[in-house]
Amino acid sequence: MALIKEILDGTKTLLTGMKVTLDNFRKPPVTSQYPMEKIEMSEAFRNVIVLIEKEDIGSHDCIDCKLCERVCPSFCIYLDGERPEGLRRKRSTKFEVDFALCSDCGLCLDVCPTDTLGYSKVHDEAGYNRSDFLYDLLEPWADKEEAARERLKEIEAEQAAERARKAAARKAKKVRREK
Amino acid sequence: MNRFEVEQDPKSRDTYYLNMGPQHPSTHGVMRIKLHLDGERIISAEPIIGYGHRAHEKMAENRDYIQFLPNPSRVDYLGGMIYNVGYCQAVERAMDIEVPERAEYIRIVCNELNRISSHLLWLGTFLMDLGAFTPFLYAFDDREKILDILDRITGSRLTYCYARFGGVILDIDDVFLDNVSNFCTYFVERLKEYEKLVIGNVIFRERTIGVGIFAPDLAQKYAITGPCLRAMGHENDVRKDEPYGIYDRFDFDVPTQTEGDCFARTLVRMEEMRQSIRIIEQAVSDMPNGLFLAARVPRRIRPPEGDYYFCVESPRGSFGMYIASDGSDIPFRLKLRTPSFSHISAMPAVMASTMLADAVAILGSIDIVVPEIDR
Ligand code: SF4
Ligand code: SF4
Repeated sequence: MALIKEILDGTKTLLTGMKVTLDNFRKPPVTSQYPMEKIEMSEAFRNVIVLIEKEDIGSHDCIDCKLCERVCPSFCIYLDGERPEGLRRKRSTKFEVDFALCSDCGLCLDVCPTDTLGYSKVHDEAGYNRSDFLYDLLEPWADKEEAARERLKEIEAEQAAERARKAAARKAKKVRREK
Repeated sequence: MNRFEVEQDPKSRDTYYLNMGPQHPSTHGVMRIKLHLDGERIISAEPIIGYGHRAHEKMAENRDYIQFLPNPSRVDYLGGMIYNVGYCQAVERAMDIEVPERAEYIRIVCNELNRISSHLLWLGTFLMDLGAFTPFLYAFDDREKILDILDRITGSRLTYCYARFGGVILDIDDVFLDNVSNFCTYFVERLKEYEKLVIGNVIFRERTIGVGIFAPDLAQKYAITGPCLRAMGHENDVRKDEPYGIYDRFDFDVPTQTEGDCFARTLVRMEEMRQSIRIIEQAVSDMPNGLFLAARVPRRIRPPEGDYYFCVESPRGSFGMYIASDGSDIPFRLKLRTPSFSHISAMPAVMASTMLADAVAILGSIDIVVPEIDR
């Protein structure tokens, strides 16, 4: 008798389970057909880091301060830079990232004083060997570098004028106060 | 002894050794359990770990506190957010860094979402170990929803590096809050479905009730924590016992069961998901405005000389960090106490004299994450 009851109870629970499956069977599919359907990446999506454009300069604004190189826990940023003629700031001449090592932690973005680092939104990068992931971040900006330096000279000249004006104003104030 | 050799015990010549793993789906990673079998009955089980050792603790001694930020979430990739936040909280407490209200609330929401996603993955894989494939698909579908919600603000799906000392890296918006509340409403219904599908199921009950009982003295011997401990009837939860962050402001229960078998652990985890939803709902409705990252965080993280211990409730149990600081910006020693390690050490005692098929169920029910054991 107990056996029959057990069988009946068991069958009932199985049927309940099957009903749940059947209910779900009628719902629309949840999978997206990936290569055919494009998946939108979110705003915050992190892939390899990239240099982002600064509007007023028309190019990136990496001043080769090497803060990102120093903070990177995976030691995957390789930098070099120079101080161009007539500019106060440095410009980077080499900015390489070994994405195979990068852990997408975002610490480099945190420390960058000019906020010129961002993330690439490309999500499907693949390669046949590790050297495929050694990215040269300056490559997209190579042809704009000349113009950017000219533009920077103007900006820096403006800034210098501003500073001089402020210093003069301060001095005048000081003189007045002394009187 | 070569692991392919069969050891012959002169007294009983028909026992044999079997390696479960290192690449066995039910070990959930690379781990080996050396089983000494008599037919299908286990005489003794010996977990052999270390296949995924990445020396996280040693890494901590070679980089400063900030550079260690990406590591904790890689210790346990299923509860990454909780570990990431936990590490930040440990250092914050050592340094007395003030965290803005809003950041605390954001952390709670993310933590609990992460806890649910971890439990969902456990539910799916555990049931798959027992031979049920459908719940696995459902669980992964729901887990995907959580990952999408978190992805929107953290930029990652698994190994989050979202918390920073003094807050979080990115602010949340109304869309995020809407997504979270929609998910909560949806998930409460969904949990009922899971319960109908799984808990009542006769096969599931047969496979789990009375299987893998943790004897009462095991808890102290092996420092069992988390859902495994609560399934033994102890109402211990770090969130309640030593509230960290702002957990003391929320109203939630600590579910317990008394049997300590696989079934009890399942019930506890199911109920925990429901409690997490409760916490999330409260946090979302109280979400204050303000800063998400403290305005004044010291640029150099240098905890004063001394020893600090801080533990958080991870989905698997109590995750502790022991920081020995010598006053410099590199930890002198950072010990990570992970729950899965304690649980796997108890396996020889639990698995002895059970059946081989139950070993799979036991291993699945304690919810181990192998990288967390090895660290
Ligand atoms: S995201 Fe992290 S690991 Fe990657 S380059 Fe930046 S600092 Fe290095
Ligand atoms: S921190 Fe920013 S400005 Fe400095 S080197 Fe890196 S990218 Fe360039």
